[in-house]
Amino acid sequence: MKVQVKNLRKEFGKTVAVDNISFSFDSGHVFGFVGPNGAGKTTTMRIISTIEEPSSGDVLLNGISVCEEPELARRAVGYVPDTLPAHADITVHEYLDFFARAYGMRGQKRTQAVEAIEEFTNVIGIREKSLKSLSKGMKQRVSLGRALVYDPDVLVLDEPAAGLDPRARVELRELLMLLAERKKAILISSHILTELTEICNGVVIIERGKILETGTIEDVLKKSTPRRTVAIRLLDTQNAALIKELLQTPFVENARDVANEIHFECTGDEAAACDILGELIAKKFKIIEFRQTKANLEDIFMNVTKGGVQ
Amino acid sequence: MSVARLTNHFRNWRDWETNPIVIKELRQAVRSWTVTGMLLLFLIVLFITSLGFLVTESFDVNANLQLGGSMFSAFVVILAGASVFFIPLYVGIRVAAERKENDPDLLYVSTLSPTRIIFGKFLCGAYVALLFFSACMPFMAFTNLLRGVDLPTVFFILFFLFLVVCAANQVAIFLACLPMSRPFKFLFVIYGIFQSFGVIGTLVAASFSLMRSGIGAMMLHRDFWIGTLTCVLIGLALTGLFFVLSVALISPPSANRARPVRLYITTVWLLGGLLDLNWIWQTKEVQLVAVWAVITAILMFFSLLVVISNADQLSQRVRRKIPPSPLKRAFAFLFFNGAAGGLVWVALISVLTLLATTEILSLGNVWFPKTVLRMTTEQENNLFTISSTTVAYAFAYALTALFLHRKFFPKRPPKLAGLLAVLLAGAWAIAPSIVLFFLNQLSWKSVEGLQLGNVFNIFSLRETADLRPHQIFALGWLLLILLVNAKWFLRQAKTFRPPPSAPPVLE
Repeated sequence: MKVQVKNLRKEFGKTVAVDNISFSFDSGHVFGFVGPNGAGKTTTMRIISTIEEPSSGDVLLNGISVCEEPELARRAVGYVPDTLPAHADITVHEYLDFFARAYGMRGQKRTQAVEAIEEFTNVIGIREKSLKSLSKGMKQRVSLGRALVYDPDVLVLDEPAAGLDPRARVELRELLMLLAERKKAILISSHILTELTEICNGVVIIERGKILETGTIEDVLKKSTPRRTVAIRLLDTQNAALIKELLQTPFVENARDVANEIHFECTGDEAAACDILGELIAKKFKIIEFRQTKANLEDIFMNVTKGGVQ
Repeated sequence: MSVARLTNHFRNWRDWETNPIVIKELRQAVRSWTVTGMLLLFLIVLFITSLGFLVTESFDVNANLQLGGSMFSAFVVILAGASVFFIPLYVGIRVAAERKENDPDLLYVSTLSPTRIIFGKFLCGAYVALLFFSACMPFMAFTNLLRGVDLPTVFFILFFLFLVVCAANQVAIFLACLPMSRPFKFLFVIYGIFQSFGVIGTLVAASFSLMRSGIGAMMLHRDFWIGTLTCVLIGLALTGLFFVLSVALISPPSANRARPVRLYITTVWLLGGLLDLNWIWQTKEVQLVAVWAVITAILMFFSLLVVISNADQLSQRVRRKIPPSPLKRAFAFLFFNGAAGGLVWVALISVLTLLATTEILSLGNVWFPKTVLRMTTEQENNLFTISSTTVAYAFAYALTALFLHRKFFPKRPPKLAGLLAVLLAGAWAIAPSIVLFFLNQLSWKSVEGLQLGNVFNIFSLRETADLRPHQIFALGWLLLILLVNAKWFLRQAKTFRPPPSAPPVLE
């Protein structure tokens, strides 16, 4: 299943919530959708899930347009909204059973599918509980179960980890990894970026309705941090001397003291970094750690976004 | 649905499953304290009322031979009050809650078709009504033992009341589906509550009247059944109309929303015409044609507003369903989304109704010369002039609004054209009176004078001779605006073709 978002634009009156964005992802991919509040993430996700219509542009699911053929597209998309199910007077099992029926599952197949999903999302113990009486984490599981009950190829999850306790978050992460192994194409938005780094293959960073960065995590990291940052820890307290020395060394810029470590930006390649290390050792600096610091999604997010909302 | 699909559907009856919406809604209704509480309250009120009647009667020395009738009347009031007021409100609120503008319930993104969703909601309302009626029926049947009411009356009134509740449920579903903000929906609820009081009053009065005359005796007459069936058919036609409108409202904007509605209205219009003709033949009263003509006029007036609020661009999905054959395409043009086809459809029905009504009126006078309410030739001519002028004005306003929208507000949503048409008609009606007011010349006489362009003025003219200038002006304006819109119309008709690409298939 290939999901292609093409020149998507959504206006609410004079506000442009989504401004001509394009990206794509495939089966087995977990794509992170990152942006500050009001960036247009939920609107995009709702359009992919056929809940909203775009002002222009389209989303194609294996060539099927969500605008032209929403009923067909719906068979392929499972949507977990940021609002949790709030149906009154209905149990978890009845809720999941209803959606299995609504997606045309019949008889024994439906019973088995509902039971399998209850087991997968670990809600068997609460299946006879009223939906309204559940905690946020449990509702989130039910919501995920609802989206999975008819086995869609594409999963769109809007802030699924919001408000979950650490254990529930770990469980959710494991569930998503399992789903990716089952060849689902997953688009997930979250503000917990460290988690996204662990589970996502790709990322889309969006702000004010516009895409700032998109691609695989490695590509985005490389693109956003072209210079490698190197950290050095010394055995003794020769930090000032080291900074002085570094500033005179080729390929070194912006050497500074950060929490008793010396950080500098290496404008050269890995061989250049190696030469710098050799030079410092030759000049009798007592180095006990020389490492390249890795930027994560959080750093990139902070670098590329300005925190603007619409 | 094709015949083959229909045959296949019935052949596999063992695989039929209940509408998921009905199962969900009934599960929720059974668990809901709103329904359970209301049902318990209803039973308590019925029980206390029965007890009150029986205890009061036990102190009376003389046996009351109408006790059953009196008790039944009280039960009808309670049942009508509970079912016409509570059940549609419950059904409407449940639909509206799932159709909040910013957070539509996810059931609307399931693969359930809009027809199944609305039918499920409707069936659930009918089941809840059945629950209330079942609770009330033993009490009502019991009144037959106390004399004063016969069993046919009991069941007939219950059946009629049930149909009214089902129709009210459908209207409530329609109102809940309207794409409005919460304050507007709240205003509609208040309006609906006031309307339900009127319905309850009418129902109770009709039930009392039926009880007095005794349905058992009337059932032997053919006229009773004809009248009953006509009422039931009109009720069903209205319920059906609200059903197709609700389905259209929750259908995706890319679907051909116009087709089921226009097909349904056309069918009802034709069948209604035939039914009316049958009534004219039976009663020999040609004036009955007015019932059909007036209902059609009201329907076409609202249709015209909706039609001009249609977008010009057809989605790919709708275009794929356009038949390639030119003859079939010309017919399909009337029943597809888009203002141009819709205008032709409204114009066809309006003109055919106008011609048929005039023809029936003139032929009726020949067929039934002894008819009580005969129209003179002059009255017939005036009626034709008034009707044709009204139709011409309606189209002139609509086409002018369409032109204004296209010319000056092309980026605004198409529904603005409908609003402009209403504003145009309203402004033209009010403006002369305002001018006369400031000139200190506003009087009843001036209102009755000729005001060209004001459609409402036709109905308040003092001199029938002034009808002719109105007719000429309306037709002239219509002709002019038709010419102005001709290029647009031709473009719409020319682009009404299926796209060359093949439809998508989900792997």
